[in-house]
Amino acid sequence: MHTWDQKQAIYQQLADILAAQLLDGEPAEGDAMPSVRALAGRYLLNPLTVNRALQALGDEGLLENHRGMGLYVVAGARERLRAAERQRFMNDEWPRLRERLRRLGIQANQLNWEEQA
Amino acid sequence: MNAATDTTGRTTATSLAGASGSDLLVEARNLSVRFGKKAAVDDVSFTIPKGRVVGLLGHNGAGKTTLMKAMVGLTRPEGALHVLGLDPVKQRVQLLESACYIPDVATLPRWARVEELITMMSGLHPRFSADRARTLLRRTSVGLRDKVKSLSKGMVAQAHLSLIAAIDAKLMILDEPTLGLDVLSRKAFYEMLIDEWCDGERSVLISTHQIEEIENLLSDVLMLNEGKLVLNLSLEDLDRRFVALSHDSSVADQMAAAHPLLKYRTGPGPGGNASLFDGAPPEHVQALGQRVRPSLVDLFVALTRKPELNRTQF
Repeated sequence: MHTWDQKQAIYQQLADILAAQLLDGEPAEGDAMPSVRALAGRYLLNPLTVNRALQALGDEGLLENHRGMGLYVVAGARERLRAAERQRFMNDEWPRLRERLRRLGIQANQLNWEEQA
Repeated sequence: MNAATDTTGRTTATSLAGASGSDLLVEARNLSVRFGKKAAVDDVSFTIPKGRVVGLLGHNGAGKTTLMKAMVGLTRPEGALHVLGLDPVKQRVQLLESACYIPDVATLPRWARVEELITMMSGLHPRFSADRARTLLRRTSVGLRDKVKSLSKGMVAQAHLSLIAAIDAKLMILDEPTLGLDVLSRKAFYEMLIDEWCDGERSVLISTHQIEEIENLLSDVLMLNEGKLVLNLSLEDLDRRFVALSHDSSVADQMAAAHPLLKYRTGPGPGGNASLFDGAPPEHVQALGQRVRPSLVDLFVALTRKPELNRTQF
């Protein structure tokens, strides 16, 4: 069963999981999101919690309500998510990573940018 | 749920009797069930509105099964109890048209085939849908031609839920539905319950000891300790009312001085300490730790400990 972090609201954690899946194209832009009940069943969460997570993704402009047909992934959702992730990397992760690289004395040209064979 | 209890606590008996059209599926006021001198359920008041998933928690012998039995008219309580606006003892037949119940001792006849059970239910229950039962069973690995005795324990539980969830009811009462099932069977059971039965209108009351597993499934919690209701709260209000602080062992004494309900461990090392408070502790205490979500298990331990354990636990 899924284990949830005690430090963060569960709806936020679910929203993060669903956002990560959207970034991977699951579901693809223009496709329908799974129903609240299906998600509640899959993650064993109260439907109200699932609703809040979907609401949060809707507020970020990633999902839209098609009248009577449920929630759909909006066109451009992946690019928007990628931009937000990039922003977060630059603001939060990169300064820490740069600090560590400096401490270890690793230069940019020593980093292998090609994938290992 | 708490707010509903506060308001209905002041309503009159006549308005309780006319509750069938309201949003409250269950209304219990000053409810007791006595066996001789012992009160198995002791002066309990609560309500269950529609569209809720309510957990009924308590140790063995806390009164969970007795309370559920009273709700379906299997035991006669004192005080006021209305389920779907009906008196469970006097109007039991009418009640069972719209309330379904899997008791903790439930079994299905071992010699029967699943399709025979569907036929039987069709004859027994006016609101049972054979088509719906077959649809639900298709989610499971249970075949219509299977005999009950050939099914695993987890499959029997799923077959049972399929039969019960095929009743077009407003309230489902499940007494320890996943007892003795392995983790995958338990997950499958709850997945089907949430996906196929909870539609925002119907409510379900579940008793279980596997609190961690269903904690996040619940909208509300009722906690019984020796027959008394020690907690009656929505999970949303629970997060607001109870404050858990994770902290370092070096500040343990200062935490203890603020009288937490419970001190417990969240992980290894000196940082893995936590204290649970009913209501926010003073700010200087809050500043010593990091706020974490209080878990239902910790609350359960804090609110249902036997007094003699208080001295030896830490």
